[in-house]
Amino acid sequence: MALGAAPFSAPAAVSRGFTQLLDAVVRIDVQQVAFDQGTRRFEASIGSGVVLSSDGLILTNAHVASPQAVEINVTLSNLERVGARLVGWDHWTDLALLKLDMDEVRRRHLAFAHAEFGDSEKLFPGETVFAVGTPYGLARTVTRGIISNTHRYFEGDLDIDGYETGMFNTWLQTDAAINPGNSGGPLVTEDGRVIGITSRSYLGASNLGFAIPANVAKVVVAGLVRNGSISRSYIGVEPTALQDLEHFYSLALNTGALLSNIDAGSPAARAGVKVGDILLAINGSKVDGRFPEQLPPIQNSIASQPVGATLGLTIKRGPQTMTFAVTTEKLESSVGEEGAFESWGLSVRKVSRAYARENRLPDATGVLVIGVRPGFPADVAGLAAGDVITTVNRQPVTSLDMLKAAHEAFAAKPAPALFEAERDRRVALFILKP
Amino acid sequence: MPAWCHRLFLALLATAAVARAADIPALWAERVKCTVAVAYVIENENDRRPTLAYGTVIDRQGTIILPTAAVDQRLAPQQLKDFKVYIPGDPTPYEGTYLGGDVFTGWQYVRVEEKARSRLVPVTAFAAHGANPVPVMTEELWGIGLRPKEEDFLPYILQSHLVLTQLLPERTGVTQQEVAGPGLPVFNHAGDLVGIALSSGGETYMQFSQGARGGEAVILFDLEESSLFQLADDVLPYLKRIPTNVNGRPLAWLGAFSLEPMDRDVANFLKLSPQASGAVVSEVLENSPAEKAGMKARDIIVAINGQPIPHFRPDHVVIDYVEHEIARDRPGDAMSLTVLRGADRLELKATLGEEPKLVREADRTFFDRLGFTAREFVYGDAIARRVKVAEAAGVIVHYVRPNGPTALAGLQTDDWIQEIDGAPAKNYTDALARLFAIANDPQRREFVLLVSRGGDTAILRVKLK
Repeated sequence: MALGAAPFSAPAAVSRGFTQLLDAVVRIDVQQVAFDQGTRRFEASIGSGVVLSSDGLILTNAHVASPQAVEINVTLSNLERVGARLVGWDHWTDLALLKLDMDEVRRRHLAFAHAEFGDSEKLFPGETVFAVGTPYGLARTVTRGIISNTHRYFEGDLDIDGYETGMFNTWLQTDAAINPGNSGGPLVTEDGRVIGITSRSYLGASNLGFAIPANVAKVVVAGLVRNGSISRSYIGVEPTALQDLEHFYSLALNTGALLSNIDAGSPAARAGVKVGDILLAINGSKVDGRFPEQLPPIQNSIASQPVGATLGLTIKRGPQTMTFAVTTEKLESSVGEEGAFESWGLSVRKVSRAYARENRLPDATGVLVIGVRPGFPADVAGLAAGDVITTVNRQPVTSLDMLKAAHEAFAAKPAPALFEAERDRRVALFILKP
Repeated sequence: MPAWCHRLFLALLATAAVARAADIPALWAERVKCTVAVAYVIENENDRRPTLAYGTVIDRQGTIILPTAAVDQRLAPQQLKDFKVYIPGDPTPYEGTYLGGDVFTGWQYVRVEEKARSRLVPVTAFAAHGANPVPVMTEELWGIGLRPKEEDFLPYILQSHLVLTQLLPERTGVTQQEVAGPGLPVFNHAGDLVGIALSSGGETYMQFSQGARGGEAVILFDLEESSLFQLADDVLPYLKRIPTNVNGRPLAWLGAFSLEPMDRDVANFLKLSPQASGAVVSEVLENSPAEKAGMKARDIIVAINGQPIPHFRPDHVVIDYVEHEIARDRPGDAMSLTVLRGADRLELKATLGEEPKLVREADRTFFDRLGFTAREFVYGDAIARRVKVAEAAGVIVHYVRPNGPTALAGLQTDDWIQEIDGAPAKNYTDALARLFAIANDPQRREFVLLVSRGGDTAILRVKLK
């Protein structure tokens, strides 16, 4: 039995751009260090990426290659393997930029193609797209689908291994088959232009895949090339969609966003902005947060301001409209620096200002226990993941270095050490014995 | 007759003599008269839950003690209804009155109506003359159990051996098997009271091959019988602590919040003696006696009124010990506390205060049309939400009816309502007046709540039918 399939578009194979794109997609093998079980250990992962330039820049996901990576190997389309290094990463958009070892490329006379970005704002639902990548290690796999939604919004907090993500962008949704290992690979149109970077899918669901739009990626790539990182501004407000609360707040439709959360101690809180305020404009530009899909761009417009800039927030509170001057701070992750102290069998993460704020700690003193090694001193003493160690031998833990010094002293001349830690507001004491 | 035969003869004679002295069935029949079953109803917004406990009669006025766990301390006293007292083996219910709980002993007190009293004998009638007996290891003990209500609470006997006595911090006996129903007395061979059984320590049984469960092992909890009992010396002297009100006030208060025990290693590191221990104060509450006495968070309490804090096994018993010492006193009493702060050892003089209004004492109102119960914001709510007591405003959501209008809007139990229709809810009275206005206005189709939940806030739009 044969079904007469009507030709709905030009076959991808005939497009030169598509052929070139295939030659620009790479497999990425990453060895990274992990500190989570009271020890330093290495773990391997596989992802995909796309070469963006002739000088060997490769775009992938932040959850494929992070600063924890100790070795990155790239398999080019001609199956040759080349080393690469991390140029920078941005977990907020789940993007990371690598650079091929060009000396090695030249020495071995290796060739590769590079891809071009398309305009992700011009996509329409139903448009044919292809995902290219290394699902489950199966290199150079092409799957086909359509754009299912051009502005997918995820409610709630997303994270990549604890790092915040997704506040500043919406996603492209596609039904092209996306599997683990596809991450970091491109989502392309039929002419081979990259319109998204495949990032996540629902495991177990059928054909619900998501990609970071190319227009978001272009900005991030430029920033990572320039500075190695993306600097964003923070004022501490969380907008919520007004949906149909406009009437309650006596607002015209498509006007303003409801501020449903103000971080305690944040610039906005200090300036006097309150929960329940309606944000009408930022520096005179009108804000429209009627629907959830409109919230990431609002967040992004704040984040895109230079750090330290003073923003004029036009706020409606009850019948009054007022303006607040809010000076931005640098946006920080709640995930601080990590380390493992092997003689103690203890893995920790520095308490960051953002973590302290979220968890209502008085300040950023202390380290968060992220893992203990069974049978080692920290575990035997009763420390557990989630505890915040505030003092060691009665000295406040202000940095990871301070802890390193105490650990070195312990390793050199083992003696019981007194740890004070907080767990759910309860302060307890622990003795780590050699 | 060989010598060994002679010894055997004597031994038999001795056994017979003891058995005659202690006619356990007769002793048992007499002592059953100090036991009762107490049934009551817990009234919630949406249901009424029948509840059952066992108790021991302590005086001629028909006062009955029940174990702590017989009454959930989170419930408001007005939710506890329809107390009935049953005499073992008799289905006739007698009226009971809930008198409240004593925070020091933990006993819950109930009084039975006059006409039942002549059928009861107080447990004190079975106390030993002179010193209370302290059972020794392997000693045979027995107690009373009561069958379920369907069997008219028929009394039966339980017998076991003492295997351990522990300080928890009260002197607590542990028997090899269950020795009495929780709340019911335990006796020795002579029929003298040795203690009152506590709520079951959670004796568990694995039962295999239960057909109905596909042969999987099931774990059964025995809640009707207990192998733990509190020794008479820690029971009898305190029986007169009968609450004068259902809230059990006055309640002495120090305000050292979230005490934490320490293990032996920490105590050694702090150079405490092997018999001593301490409790770490996690937080010192605002405006509390502890704060006024100069106590600071992270202080380690090592002595109360000059008495070093003993070392208990397990470590966490020390917390009960400290709380017990506070509960023993009354508001206004002086308490001196020795604390370690860093390398210093300090003496703090506190004057105990009256415990601020508890959640279970807070006023509450159920709004049927809105489908939730608003509860007064009390001191403990400010502590739990880490706000200054002076900043306390609004009301707490005590209950949300499933699928009711507020539930559909996303309201959850323990949400803190701060604004109603865009204006701050100043206090309980103000919030109530405005919620009543909404609930009683048949034209109302919606209202808006601003709630705080775990430090985050949400604006909820509630649609009414």
